Amino acid sequence: MISIQGLRKRLGDVDVVRGVSFQAADGTVTGLLGPNGAGKTTTLRLLSGLMRPDAGSIHVDDSDVIADPIGSQCVMGLLPDARGLYPRMTAREHIRYFGELRGLTGAALDERTDRLVHRLGLEQVADRRVAGFSQGERTKVALARALVHAPRNVMLDEPTNGLDVMSTRAVRALIRGLRDDGCCVVFSSHIMQEVAALCDRIVVIAQGTVVAEGTAAELRQLTGRADLEDAFVTLAGLDPEANG
Amino acid sequence: MTGLRTLAVVFRKELIDGARDRRSMMTLLFSAAIAPVLFGVLFTVTAERRRNAENITLPVAGAEYAPVFVDWLRQQTGVTIVPAPADAERAVRDRDEDVVLIVDKEFEKDMARAVPAPVKLVSDTTRDGSRPKVTRVRNLIATYSQMTGGLRLILRGVAPGVATAIRIEEVEVSSSQQRLAMQLNVLPLLLVIAALTGGMQIAIDSTAGERERGSLEPLLLNPVSRDAIAAGKWLAASVFGCGAVVFSMVLTINVMRRVPWHDLGIRFTVTDGALLSLLGLVLPLALLLSAVVLFASTFARSFKEAQSYLGMLMLLPMAPGIISTLYPLSHRPWLAPVPILGQYALAADVLGGSPPGVAFYLVAGVSAIACALVLVGLTARLLRRESIVFGR
Repeated sequence: MISIQGLRKRLGDVDVVRGVSFQAADGTVTGLLGPNGAGKTTTLRLLSGLMRPDAGSIHVDDSDVIADPIGSQCVMGLLPDARGLYPRMTAREHIRYFGELRGLTGAALDERTDRLVHRLGLEQVADRRVAGFSQGERTKVALARALVHAPRNVMLDEPTNGLDVMSTRAVRALIRGLRDDGCCVVFSSHIMQEVAALCDRIVVIAQGTVVAEGTAAELRQLTGRADLEDAFVTLAGLDPEANG
Repeated sequence: MTGLRTLAVVFRKELIDGARDRRSMMTLLFSAAIAPVLFGVLFTVTAERRRNAENITLPVAGAEYAPVFVDWLRQQTGVTIVPAPADAERAVRDRDEDVVLIVDKEFEKDMARAVPAPVKLVSDTTRDGSRPKVTRVRNLIATYSQMTGGLRLILRGVAPGVATAIRIEEVEVSSSQQRLAMQLNVLPLLLVIAALTGGMQIAIDSTAGERERGSLEPLLLNPVSRDAIAAGKWLAASVFGCGAVVFSMVLTINVMRRVPWHDLGIRFTVTDGALLSLLGLVLPLALLLSAVVLFASTFARSFKEAQSYLGMLMLLPMAPGIISTLYPLSHRPWLAPVPILGQYALAADVLGGSPPGVAFYLVAGVSAIACALVLVGLTARLLRRESIVFGR
């Protein structure tokens, strides 16, 4: 369960996040939908505790992210925008490294690693160094290491960016699986189909604020547009006619 | 998750990652090889030159004008007289000969008249390599001149001593050990270079490299202490730095054993133990230098940027070393608490044959490690900065 209230962040002279508030419940997938530069990544960075907001509050389950970032990192798993890997290490070593940093050891670590390798279909490449990995394989490794501690709250920043069809399907299946396990999943995207296909709730972010939220049907109703993409364009203030 | 466990996990990962990096391993080996190779060449060449000065081949032009003198030269130990090339000056300029002696055709006549007989000694003073040989020849000529002059005075009923107003008696106070130390002064500098460069690659890779790859942000998403992460990376880099130093030392000791010391006129009495005790000085320094590199390269967004910073930073630990080869820092053990400078000062004493007490080693080591810990702490603070974590 994630709860964000009145989040603000200024980077340089730009107000990147200007009063973002939303809630994401357990057992649901919440999509942060917004055009490039809307503040999605910054919102997720604030959520991760690595970046401190200028104002607002963030709670993940019972912990206050701003007061206790390390404590709240224990109950969340985040796939950030930066998903760099160590080229000389194998996929399995990546997962194990983060598992060990999360305090997993012995059989529990082995079991968790094997399960993620299996779940993401990485069996063939698990013991290869990641240097030659495809974009899809890299993203899967980054996902696996973010989820190694079986977090109850999962945040994914554009997880399907640059992936082919099969990899995208694998990631979607993973997200659905997490929701069915009762996790609170938040993921950001600028791709309409993605959000429509996966999300129980959609939070539309534009120019640093939440401009609308609800189910896909509610958003269509709100804007009077039959198509979600049209609804999004209207909501995000990207509609040339409306602005004209 | 305790900090110590985090440290161990990060340390092990960075070690494995570093060991798989060919570039890291190559720099480690190269930096370790600098000292022994340089020493091997330096001492062997010096010995070679000394030997050259003892066994000289002297080209003489106009030997027929001074048969007695040339015969005398020929009788001196290690001297071989050969005919001179036609153009003596060119031969020396072109480095075909180190020195050529030209006897004037008036030599015998002048000798008979007891006026100074002219000879020409052709040499090039800018050539260090030929200097011992030229000096030897000049000394031989001076000896003959004095001998003959003395005989002339005796013939005239004058004591030869009359012609010498002052007699210089050279008293050399430095022990042969200290003279050796002059040459060995380069050793601490080379070990410091090994310490610095040995761990450099891995220190850059685990900081600037981590930022460049975009793996820093995911790493910091783990609920672990930044101090433990920085310390783990620091210790991994230090292992490489220390490895380079130890490896360098072992090779250097082996080289030292093979240097022809007797040809250098030196009795090599620096024991292996004394050389090994240098490790007690340089290893803590390796820990400090790794921390310096780690801290500096955390500022860099990329490997390249880090290398350009470090290019300048390299001078910091090397400058005192370079200066100390010119102005030895010996007999200043009170410098011990000053990192880097202290190590050079103590090393100079070790090599000079008067090793400082264990307390000085401890003071120098503790001080270096304390500075390292401060830098590691500062690095950990950098890892909390948004501009570092997200700045790519």
